Amino acid sequence: MKLTFSPEDEAFRNQIAGWLRNNLVGEFAELKFRGGPGDEHMFPEERKRWEQKLAEGGWTCVGWPEAYGGRGLSIEQQVIFFEEYARAGAPGRMGHIGEGLAGPTIIAFGSEAQKEKYLPGIVAGTELWCQGYSEPNAGSDLANVQTRASLEDGKWRIHGQKVWTSLAHESDWCFVIARTEPGSKAHKGLGFFLVSMHQPGVTVRPIEQLTGTSEFNEVFFDGAVAEDIVGAPGEGWAVAMGLLGFERGVSTLGQQMQFQNELDEIIRLARANGAARNPGIRQRIAEAHTGLRLMRYNAMRMLSSSQDGQADSSALVYKLHWASWHRNLGALAMDVLGPEAELIDDAPYELSRLQSLFLFTRSDTIYGGTNQIQRNIIAERGLGMPKEPKGR
Amino acid sequence: MDFTFNEDQLAFREAISRFLAAELPPEVLRKNWETEDGCSRELHRKMVEQGLTGLSVPEAQGGLEMDDTAWVLLTPLLGYYAIADSVVDTAYTATGLLSALPEGDHRREELLTGIAGGDVGVAVAHQVNPLVVDMDLADVVLVEFEGEIHALNQEAVSYECNTSIDSSRRLGRISVQPAPESRLLENGRDIWAETLNRGAVGVAGQALGLAQRMLDMSVEYASQRQQFGKPVGSFQAVKHHLADVAEKIEFAKPVLYRAAHALANNERGSDLYSSHAKLACCEAAWLAARHGIQVYGAMGYTWEADLQIFMKRAWALDSYWGDRAFHKSRVAEAVLADDALIGPQHTFEE
Repeated sequence: MKLTFSPEDEAFRNQIAGWLRNNLVGEFAELKFRGGPGDEHMFPEERKRWEQKLAEGGWTCVGWPEAYGGRGLSIEQQVIFFEEYARAGAPGRMGHIGEGLAGPTIIAFGSEAQKEKYLPGIVAGTELWCQGYSEPNAGSDLANVQTRASLEDGKWRIHGQKVWTSLAHESDWCFVIARTEPGSKAHKGLGFFLVSMHQPGVTVRPIEQLTGTSEFNEVFFDGAVAEDIVGAPGEGWAVAMGLLGFERGVSTLGQQMQFQNELDEIIRLARANGAARNPGIRQRIAEAHTGLRLMRYNAMRMLSSSQDGQADSSALVYKLHWASWHRNLGALAMDVLGPEAELIDDAPYELSRLQSLFLFTRSDTIYGGTNQIQRNIIAERGLGMPKEPKGR
Repeated sequence: MDFTFNEDQLAFREAISRFLAAELPPEVLRKNWETEDGCSRELHRKMVEQGLTGLSVPEAQGGLEMDDTAWVLLTPLLGYYAIADSVVDTAYTATGLLSALPEGDHRREELLTGIAGGDVGVAVAHQVNPLVVDMDLADVVLVEFEGEIHALNQEAVSYECNTSIDSSRRLGRISVQPAPESRLLENGRDIWAETLNRGAVGVAGQALGLAQRMLDMSVEYASQRQQFGKPVGSFQAVKHHLADVAEKIEFAKPVLYRAAHALANNERGSDLYSSHAKLACCEAAWLAARHGIQVYGAMGYTWEADLQIFMKRAWALDSYWGDRAFHKSRVAEAVLADDALIGPQHTFEE
């Protein structure tokens, strides 16, 4: 066990901090602390340019192997990267689905040709990705996807509807799970497809959220061509599940730094408006602090100890913990604001950062596997308990 | 010891319940919620015809002269249908204050008559609320100034109007200049304190109704929505969420009734009882909102699902007429006071 950083690591810290200081200026200055949870719909064009700026400096895909255009950073240096990125207030990443999910999946399961075709655009920050998993009848029951993929004249064509697709309206590519074997059930007979969003047969319709904004969408595929399939037809579920493993990877560190910024803002506010004198609020702030710390320690342990048999079970509990923690943080923010929390300064319905945070955190315990599904996974996969009876 | 309601009270609730169900199907409710005013003038006129605004106005001023215990049957209905705040603020909270003024006062009688007839809206600018709700709909605003109670006409008040996260609410920061001619009562501290309790109990009742609405909607959704080949409500992880809400609601009801009884009878423990009611009912509404969205899944996070209307209203009311910290500290003060009545024999002591 070693909980300090080496001199080389600290030198690296100076390097990234200096780069951010010199580059998060000018047209990018307005992006500071923007584009985070509940704010993802803001400044899309500016944030796309920021992705490319990051790429110019070599700061995209920092954990990827150098062979694929990454920086090949150690876990320690990735931790430092995310700490400094958040400390500088650099904006929420538009490229995170490509960098954190699509890319690692292609690296792990894709062919050499696919790696050559798709990875450079992700590294360069020029090609953005979205995730075509959920459907109207495949939410918690993800394996119930009905979207079909059929071979027509040697090309896979996609028919069906996806929903809750984040940033689909800004994306160039979508990875889609679809049924390659008609009549197959559950996790059998699926394929994992890479589909261009810029073609006839793809329709994106925004969904208005209770925040009044639209960050996610319905996506309709009417015979859209899939340029590639990752893995063999019928093996899509294994690829899709492999991808969900990456969701719990290093990218969670960036999320935690974001959380730290939010908590710090709430603490500043509580001190300024007197809420910090309230014993109930004080206790909840202390709980928020300890909750975030243990999340960070656990993430580091998870990342640094792949040989540790405990790491798998700590990965299983991670989503449940952060989602519940963040939801409570949103409520705490509103209680710190007090009676003015409901006030909207700018009509129509322009929310403050903390109001957006509160409303957004209502979705944290739902997307990416609800708390109920997470508990089932912990109990069934982690503890080996009998499976819940299902209707089919 | 009797927690039951009399026949008149129950009959009145039944009539209003039928009226609101007929007038406010979900699509109309949403339309009203999203209009510029946040409420419907036409609906307000019909509520006046039902006698709602005159419920606790004295008979001499054209009202039904019912007390707080009648209101706790109605405020949950108003919450259930997300009726805008001006109704309860005027017809219950402000009317309670005005009725308590000495009889024979010309302005008292004029205002009460106006309220019963639906011609006058009254806002109450209590210090516990930094923002005055529905100032734009009020003809008169009641304020306290150095122990005096004043009634100012809207023209005499300068205010800016803001919107709320709950689209039915308009929030005003006001500044007023009380004058000798606007004074209603010279020594109004007790009445003003009682008004705070009545405001809190009015909100508590609405919060309870909001909780019930969100519970009903969530039960319906969870019974229809299928995953894994079954209604999601058949899974314990889902249904237990709603069972927990039901528990909160049922346990909040008698607390609300107890507070109303205390107000109706000028009991000395009214501060404690009304704070307890506000906390219990808002907690139920909060849990119903939180669990409702969870049970709805991603649909609960959309603008399209009506659940958000009730959720946002529950959120706004949570800190209206005193936030949780305020009411919790009042409970603590009462329980920890040197002369607190503790011991089994004091459960229903006045």
